[in-house]
This record gives sequence, structure tokens and C-alpha cells, in this order.
Amino acid sequence: MEFDFSPVITYFPTLVKGIGATLLIGLVVGIMSIIGGQIVAVITLYTKKVVNWPLRFFIWLFMTTPLLLQLYFLYFGLGQWILIPAIVVGVLGLGFHYMAYNADIFIATIKSVSSGQYEASRSLGFGHLATLFYIILPQALYRAIPQLGNNMIIMVKDISVLSAIGIAELVYLSQYAISVTFRPFEFYITIAVIYYLINILMETGQSWVERRAATRR
Amino acid sequence: MDINLMIEIMPLLVKAAWVTIDISVRALFFGFFIASALVALRSSRTPPVRWLARSYISVVRGTPYFVQLLLVFYGGPAVGLRLDPFTCGVVVGAFNIGAYMSEAIRGAIISVDSGQNEASRSLGFGRFATLQHIVLPQAAGLMIRSVGVLAIILVKNSSLVSIISVVELTYQAQRLIGSTYKPLEVFSLSALMYIVIIYAVMGIVELLYRRATRYTYL
Repeated sequence: MEFDFSPVITYFPTLVKGIGATLLIGLVVGIMSIIGGQIVAVITLYTKKVVNWPLRFFIWLFMTTPLLLQLYFLYFGLGQWILIPAIVVGVLGLGFHYMAYNADIFIATIKSVSSGQYEASRSLGFGHLATLFYIILPQALYRAIPQLGNNMIIMVKDISVLSAIGIAELVYLSQYAISVTFRPFEFYITIAVIYYLINILMETGQSWVERRAATRR
Repeated sequence: MDINLMIEIMPLLVKAAWVTIDISVRALFFGFFIASALVALRSSRTPPVRWLARSYISVVRGTPYFVQLLLVFYGGPAVGLRLDPFTCGVVVGAFNIGAYMSEAIRGAIISVDSGQNEASRSLGFGRFATLQHIVLPQAAGLMIRSVGVLAIILVKNSSLVSIISVVELTYQAQRLIGSTYKPLEVFSLSALMYIVIIYAVMGIVELLYRRATRYTYL
């Protein structure tokens, strides 16, 4: 039992590339899932049943089945009808998964904004849509921030699952390095440390955003 | 939809679903003991013990379950830890969910008003008797609900064990998609099984919750 971290240092540029890919995917999925989640929530709450029931069904489906099963279905399943590159499948799969979770949060926070706000705004002459965009949604967004932060932290950890469908992020690239150097323990420990650091950074960012948001509520 | 195919693959998926249930139940069982131990350590009177438990929880919650699984399964042999895939899934699952569950249990205990604790102590109950007879019965409702949420997460996380080649539901589904070329049928059946498992967990949690809060006025 001896540890040799020199291969990790040799392959560090590869790992840095992986960190970059992971962060980039995280950013894209984060933006997509927050904006998309809000749109889905608004459509679910303010449209007729014909439109919102399928949406509610998909939110429910994404929340009750594991991410990996969804990714396998999208990657190996849809691949038989249309050819989509793995990276697109990965980003869309993760994006839809967290879009469902975020939509669920937004639905709760939009409902929690009191109906008096809506009535007051309408009686001041705002239209339905203007009320929604200028009065209801900003308040709902501020209330959703703590839970959104938690979701985004979980999401970044779930990016590692994308390596299962062959997307070259941190875990996948380290698996490549392991297949050359045969040093799984050292590499996976390094990956764990990197993820832990990213996590600490994100938690610090989350509490900063929450403090900022609290003053503007 | 090819109904015949769905009937044909049903037994395979049911068998795989049993493995998913098996692995989750075992991990939950051991995870509960790990969580209880962590809660006890976190309220220890010696600072280093508290600090150790805190950093364990922080590290486990701060790294992906997927990476933990890979580290123990592929990295374990380097430190003399050789586990077969199923055991590895149970062990990593238990240690992972234990960290999350200890926070849930601690949160439930803390949420009980501290006056209850003080009143009980001043009536002559010991530290342990207070916990057993006064605090835990009041914390039980909240505790059961939040542990229930974690149990559902555990079931969904068990799909990642397919990466270390345990033949559970997701692994079987992936294999069947590859061999039958009928992704929609396979996916809807396996998704249905996850949904059944998750709703069963929710039902059990609800029963336990009602039982635990029988005498509580809320």
C-alpha cells in the first residue's frame, strides 16, 4: 500500500480541462434549468388543463425516475431514431431533470406570493401579463433563491454522472488517465478533493447571494 | 408499443427491481445506525470528536455519490479494501446516506423547543432519559418525514450502482434497450417500477408518520 501521486501531476492539465468542461456544463445547465424552470412553472400555473397537464406529467416523471435512467433512455434510446451528439444529450438530459425540480420550486413560490399582490396590481391598472412579470415573478424568484441554490449544488455533483454516457468531463477524463496509469485511488481522491473545493465555493457563493437577496426583498 | 415484448421482459425487470429494493433497504438500515452514531458524536463533549464528525459529514455531502462509489470500488483495492459490487453499493450507500440522515435527525431533535429539555432535566430526568422519553417522541414526526425523503433519494441513487456492474433496474434497462431496440417500452416499464417503489416508500413513511404522531397535538 503505497501512494504515488506523480501520475496525477503529470495528467493535471487533463484534469484542468475536465474541471473546465464540468464548470461549463454546470453553467449552461444552470442557466437553462433556472430560466426553463420558471417558464415551465408559469405555463403550468396560468394555462388551460390541456396544456398544463402534460407539463405536470413530465415534471412528475422527471422527479420520480433516476437521472441515469433518463440519460440512458435519451442517449441509447433516442439514438435509434435520431442521431444526437452525446454532449447535447447530456446537457439536455441534465437540464430537463433540474428544470423539473426548479419548476416544482417556482410553482410553490409563485403560489406563496399572496393573491392580494395580484389584485392590488390589477386595480392599479397593470394588465395580467404585466402583473405577472413585474409584480409576481420577481417576488417569487427572491423566495426561491435558497432552494435554487441547493438544487444547483446538487446539480454540479450530478454532472459526474454524465461520464456514464461518455461526456469528457472531470470524471471521464480521469478515467482515461487511470486507464493509462493504473492509479485509480490517487485519481479518484484528487477528483473528490476538487469536487469538495467546488462545493465549498458554491456554498460560499450561495450564502453571499442569499445575503444580497435578503436586503432586496 | 409492443405489448408482447413488455410482457416478455417483465420478469427480468421485476428481478432487477428486487435488487434495487434489496440494495436500498440494506443501505437504509445500516445508514440509520451510522447516522445515529454521527448524531451522538456531534453532541459529544470532546471538541475533536465533534469536529471529526462534522468534517466527515461535510466531506461526504460535498462530493458526488458517483465519485465515492468509484473511489471505493476501483480505488479500494489499493488500500486493501476489496468488495464485491453489491456489497460496495450497500456500504457506500449506507455511509453516504448516513451523513445526510444525521443532519435530518439532528435537525428534528433541534427543532424540539429547548424548554422541553430544560423542564425535563429540572424534573430530575437524566440526559438520556430526557432524550428517550421527552425529546425523541416529539421529534419523531419531523424525523420520519425527512428520513423518508432521503429514502427516496437513496432509491434513485441506487441506479448509479449499475456503473460498477450490479445488475439492478437501470443496468437491466440499459441492457434490454441494447438487445431489443425498443427503448420506449423498456423505459416506460422500468420507470413504472421506480415509481411503484417510490410510492411504496411514501406510503410506508406516511403510515409511520401517523403512528408516531398519534399522541402529539399539533
